[in-house]
Amino acid sequence: MKKDIVVALVGNPNSGKTSLFNELVGAHQKVGNWSGVTIEKFEGIVHYQDYVIHIVDLPGTYSLTAYSPEEVVARNFIIEKKPDVVIDVIDGGNIERNLYLTTQLMELGTNMIVALNMVDEVEKQKTTIDIKLLQKLLGSHIILTSATKRRGLDALLDHVVRVFLGQIIIDKNKLSYGEMVDDYLDRLSIVLSGQADLIARYNPRWLAVKLLENDKLVYELVQHYPVFFKVEFDLLQILGELKKQGVDDLEGELAEGRDAFIRGAIRETVVFQKIQKITFSDRLDSILINRVLGLPIFLFIMWLTFQFTFTCAAPIMRWIDVLFNGLGILVSAIIVNDPLRSILVDGIISGVGGVLVFLPQIVLLFMAISFLEGVGYMARAAFVVDKVMHLVGLHGKSFLPMMTGFGCSIPAIMATRTLKNKSDKLVTMMVIPFMSCSAKLPVHVLLIGVLFPKQVAGTVLFGVYLFGVLMAVLTAKLLKTTVLKGGSEPFVMELPPYRIPTLRSTFMQAKNKAGRYIRRAGTVILLASLIVWFASNYPQSALTKSNKSLQLKNSYAGQIGQFIEPIIAPLGFDWRMGIALTTGLAAKEIVVSTLGTIYSLGESVDHSSDLSQKLRSDPHFNIATGLSLLVFVLLYVPCLAAVAVFQRESKSWKWTAFYVAYTMSTAWVVSFIVYHLARLFLL
Amino acid sequence: MDMLSLKNGESGQIIAVNAKGEIRRRLLDMGVVKGVPFSMIRKAPLGDPIEIRIKRFNLSLRREEAAQILIERRVEPEASEL
Repeated sequence: MKKDIVVALVGNPNSGKTSLFNELVGAHQKVGNWSGVTIEKFEGIVHYQDYVIHIVDLPGTYSLTAYSPEEVVARNFIIEKKPDVVIDVIDGGNIERNLYLTTQLMELGTNMIVALNMVDEVEKQKTTIDIKLLQKLLGSHIILTSATKRRGLDALLDHVVRVFLGQIIIDKNKLSYGEMVDDYLDRLSIVLSGQADLIARYNPRWLAVKLLENDKLVYELVQHYPVFFKVEFDLLQILGELKKQGVDDLEGELAEGRDAFIRGAIRETVVFQKIQKITFSDRLDSILINRVLGLPIFLFIMWLTFQFTFTCAAPIMRWIDVLFNGLGILVSAIIVNDPLRSILVDGIISGVGGVLVFLPQIVLLFMAISFLEGVGYMARAAFVVDKVMHLVGLHGKSFLPMMTGFGCSIPAIMATRTLKNKSDKLVTMMVIPFMSCSAKLPVHVLLIGVLFPKQVAGTVLFGVYLFGVLMAVLTAKLLKTTVLKGGSEPFVMELPPYRIPTLRSTFMQAKNKAGRYIRRAGTVILLASLIVWFASNYPQSALTKSNKSLQLKNSYAGQIGQFIEPIIAPLGFDWRMGIALTTGLAAKEIVVSTLGTIYSLGESVDHSSDLSQKLRSDPHFNIATGLSLLVFVLLYVPCLAAVAVFQRESKSWKWTAFYVAYTMSTAWVVSFIVYHLARLFLL
Repeated sequence: MDMLSLKNGESGQIIAVNAKGEIRRRLLDMGVVKGVPFSMIRKAPLGDPIEIRIKRFNLSLRREEAAQILIERRVEPEASEL
């Protein structure tokens, strides 16, 4: 029987922690969520010797404070779940800053192993490190690793086992904050030690440090124990005494203490070569984010990302389309029973096809984004656009989800996870629908083709996208100053050195995200397609059976269209558009096929040119109605799947209801304005 | 003087971080601590945020926060410090 060892992987963002995790566990990993928060939890297993080593990849953090949810997740896992071994992954190229987290792990009193990662870069820079001495100072083993070169992985696992067995022990070292503060920490530790069950679970010195730092969560934790009254008394006294000595900023004092320890350790153990001060990253940055070229290059890279995504996805999407059409024809030929054939072909097959057809685009977009993130450009992009985002009250990092919205709202909403501030996150999620997604493109193309001459169609399409962006920016500002007030996440961000990410990491990330898209969106899109199929095919009667258009008019969907006609009449729409907009809730591209059915095009609705002609010859359809419809489709709630994902990410039905109401009413109001302006000036 | 008084390429040393709350905590966690040397790298294309080099890595922060960080100018720090 193999024994289990639980290992937690901690480390700074960009320390190569995720690559190390991927190299260690390979494909044996599963993605979940930490309970209560939308932070991904990656777990994997390695079989090593007689052990099954469970590795939990904790969120990348710079520190372990109570401010950010990532840090709380990482910290709670370590102190509550008590993993057997904690591996602290350090970026060898940036030891000094990475050690800040290490000092906090030292105080937690865990069984720690330091993985000095990217050791190949350290060697390239000819930096020498006195590992023995550094081990002693940190009170933990140090293993030299390189995830990209697969170096040191076995040594790391070997140490995990031996530390677990207690075969190799390095004496823990205590971090000193200077005599005065140390004395007070000792005093608090002694008081805390009066509570045996408390210090059986938590390291008393760590509790003392956190109490002096005014850590909200630790304070609340200690409050649950009877010893709290004594602790609080002493704490107030200590704070008073410190203040008399001129120390009233404990947070700063303790940070300086850690910094002094680290600087001392670096001075004693690391020798840097005083060679080239200008690195490759510096040179690249002096072009990529320089004052003049920074913005154009940013726009170019974004353009390239979409070009790549759409161009490469197009043929695969065609194949999927052909495949499902063929499947539909095949099934139609085999099954003679009418209702059964209809539900299989028009309901299930076209529904599943509808989900899968967007998959290539989403996988490619995720790959492109993962690559740009891995390379280190995403942080630069946030740096370049932060000013604009800040003007509307958002964080530079909001641009990524908003940009992803051009592809699909669902991954875009999932991408808001990088935003730590709740109000930032909700506002970004709210305005994502206005970034015109790829499913809306066929609708835009159809309507623009009907309304405008060919020569200006491209320009108009660009204008539609731009109008969406403008609406997103304006309403973000509106939301941020009204219902979703609240500070933004501080913009204090590392610009990591440029690196070539491992293929495995890029693929893994894209695969995980695509898998989530299928699980989250797939079921909802399928269900919605089935509902739309049912609503447009029932109730049936002998009279309507032969006439598709009449059938649709009398169906439930048709009834809804006619029912909402009074509401949408002020926008220039009649019941037919009402039906199209209703079925469009399942997925935007359905708007086109529904219009096709209504205008009696029969089975095949791919011939959008025929539909264009029908629309043009419809006396009710003019430039004002067309523009109004264009704007409405651009702005109204993306699709039911997006709503479902919104609910899962916001974890709030209230905000989800607001999301629907808000996009609907924005679409209505703006379409109303557009319709009446167009009637005044264009008719 | 505050951090923004430095031109690109100039160096300084942190004297005090006067920001409050979470922003202050973030700055401290990223190594913006009293006594630490740094140098000004550049401003973003639109003028805000700024990029500094500190503790051998590049950090970006907004002007708003940089204005709350008191510094003193100093001659170029040693290569081993940046």
